[in-house]
Amino acid sequence: MKKILGILLILVLVSTTVFAAGTKEETGKDVTLSVLWFNDANEDEIFLNTIDDYLQANPHVKLDMQIVAYSEYDQKLKLMISGGNPPDVARITTNTLSVVVDSLEPIDNHVADIEAVKAQFLPSMVAFASNTKGEFVAYPTEATANGMLINKSAFDKAGIDVDEVSKDWTWSEWESIVKQVVAANPEMKYGLTVDFTPHRFSTLMYQFGGHFLNKDQSNMEFNNPGTIAAIKWFKHVHDAGLVPKSVWLGSENPAELFQAGLVAGHIGGSWNINTYNKNVTDFEWKAVRMPKAEINSSVPGGKFIASFKGSKNQEEAFKLMEAFADKAHNEMYSRDTFNIPSRVDAQVTYPSNSDDFEVFLEELKVTPAFTANEWKNTNLSKVTTYIREQIVEVLLGNISAEEAVTNVDKKGATYFK
Amino acid sequence: MKQHTKGNFHQTAAPLLFLLPNILIFGLFIIVPAIQGLRMSFTEWGVFTTPRFIGFANFVELAQDTVFWKTFSNTIVYSLFTVSLIMVYALALALLLYKNTIKGEKIFRSLFYIPSLLSMITVGIAWRFILGDEMGIINYLLRQSGGSGIPWLTDGNLAMVSIIGVSIWAQAGYYMIILIAGLQAIPLELYEAATIDGASTTKTFTAITLPLLRSTLLVVMVLSTIASFKAYELISVMTKGGPGYATKLIVQQVYQVAFLEDRMGYASAMSIVLMLIISIFTLVQFKFTGKEQDYE
Repeated sequence: MKKILGILLILVLVSTTVFAAGTKEETGKDVTLSVLWFNDANEDEIFLNTIDDYLQANPHVKLDMQIVAYSEYDQKLKLMISGGNPPDVARITTNTLSVVVDSLEPIDNHVADIEAVKAQFLPSMVAFASNTKGEFVAYPTEATANGMLINKSAFDKAGIDVDEVSKDWTWSEWESIVKQVVAANPEMKYGLTVDFTPHRFSTLMYQFGGHFLNKDQSNMEFNNPGTIAAIKWFKHVHDAGLVPKSVWLGSENPAELFQAGLVAGHIGGSWNINTYNKNVTDFEWKAVRMPKAEINSSVPGGKFIASFKGSKNQEEAFKLMEAFADKAHNEMYSRDTFNIPSRVDAQVTYPSNSDDFEVFLEELKVTPAFTANEWKNTNLSKVTTYIREQIVEVLLGNISAEEAVTNVDKKGATYFK
Repeated sequence: MKQHTKGNFHQTAAPLLFLLPNILIFGLFIIVPAIQGLRMSFTEWGVFTTPRFIGFANFVELAQDTVFWKTFSNTIVYSLFTVSLIMVYALALALLLYKNTIKGEKIFRSLFYIPSLLSMITVGIAWRFILGDEMGIINYLLRQSGGSGIPWLTDGNLAMVSIIGVSIWAQAGYYMIILIAGLQAIPLELYEAATIDGASTTKTFTAITLPLLRSTLLVVMVLSTIASFKAYELISVMTKGGPGYATKLIVQQVYQVAFLEDRMGYASAMSIVLMLIISIFTLVQFKFTGKEQDYE
């Protein structure tokens, strides 16, 4: 009798639980979305502020934010994916995107009209966020570009109207101008600093007419006259003392050198507008058009949010990402992070520095389309560290530019076989 | 017969049972991954692809990989200098601070020991602020006093000297404590007898201190050698292995190949070679210095 009573009690308990769960489902099951994030500045706070209204309207959704240093980010994400435990949502760069693209859950599976969604974003962003099957795998959150920020006070002190001279200047004209600027400013030591990354170096490479890959992207083609010319020019400005060796040879932070007033210009990403807006108080700075070699060019880039094949809470993750990528939220996020919006319909009024963003947008407009295709190539991303090392070997005088490009092509070919 | 069995249990099985948790943890987290690493070294494998058996191809490629051999020679240079200088410096500190005869001795011990409590990333960032070419404190002071800056981290040779110096600064305190314990374990009667016999300080050091400290010195040597072969964080933060390949060690190359170039199989082959090198170094050290000491 006791046994029967016990079984009955268990049955009642189980059926009650099942019924209760069903009721909960109808009202919105509690979900905690795991979000993997990295910061350039304080984007995590701005992300949370931006989607605060969504979270208020959906109290059953909670976020478990995991902030990881960018230097460790790719490794962490790859290990999570390969371990079968990807986050529900992750912030990713174009570089990371090329590495994890096949692990991303296509947005196509979660919206009715994917073409209408794609049409909302800048074409270069859509190109980055598309996999080889043409599926759209990540929501673009911000567009980035490489450009030049200069110490305007230093140019003024040298009696140079930088707005005028930078309208259509060449690198050889820049060289003579910047020598005057350094000479007129005793505290200033160098004319330019370039971030210690192949991405930023590629800005110069594209301007000199170079490229990484052949036309159909089936193999490396770093060995080309434009790339060799860019490397030689880069060595020349290092040897001439126009560029500090401490960045590419000693890993010193170029933004710190610029903020300390030691260099007249900095070739970096558009996110530096935000950084300098906060940190630079001792002098006036601004964005100017980069000098021309063979052509004018920047390098497009961007940040995205995406979910993964195997993410545990895909449905809620996609609802959150869709909301975050809509016009109002994208405008708010772009304005507060001082970034270029990724949507074609976004109208952002920045509290300051609108002219600087305009310069970066102008750079993007003249950038050849193939640059985006090169930087979304998965195999190229595996060789970029080696490319950086080979350029440093040239700067050190250990090998020639010709040897460096040959070495890179040889190494890169192993990934394209 | 019954007592004999019980004795065996107490003498053999019981100690093994106590060791079992450690053996399990060691097996699970060290032995199994090591075997897995060995298996992976015979495969071509990216993080998102299925491993493919390729025999000894990774090791054949490794033999011709100039960057690997450059990092190999850097590792040997770094280890030889770091280990030998750490031993000399830590022993000197221990000899100065083990007798409790200097005023404030415990404070000095703490001061020398504190750097070893810091994470190597913190140490690296701090020393980059000190040694940086343009923004570094030392070069700032040199320039302020009319001199020119020294390329601590942008000249290949000086960068290697810098990371060796910082490694010694960061780790010597830890080994000093081990050596102090070793020195304090040497019976004082031996020194008293040597004094009565009229032995000089040098003779006492070479005839009593060094021989009786041999096993402690061996521990320090083995631990610091293993640590030097695995030095990653400090170098990544201070120089990123540069300029060029000047300070890049095998572990940096393993990381790059595994996680940036996505060649887990090839990186595993490098790790196996690194493990063999460490094993050879450790065996040689045991061979030359690992004799039993005798206090009698």
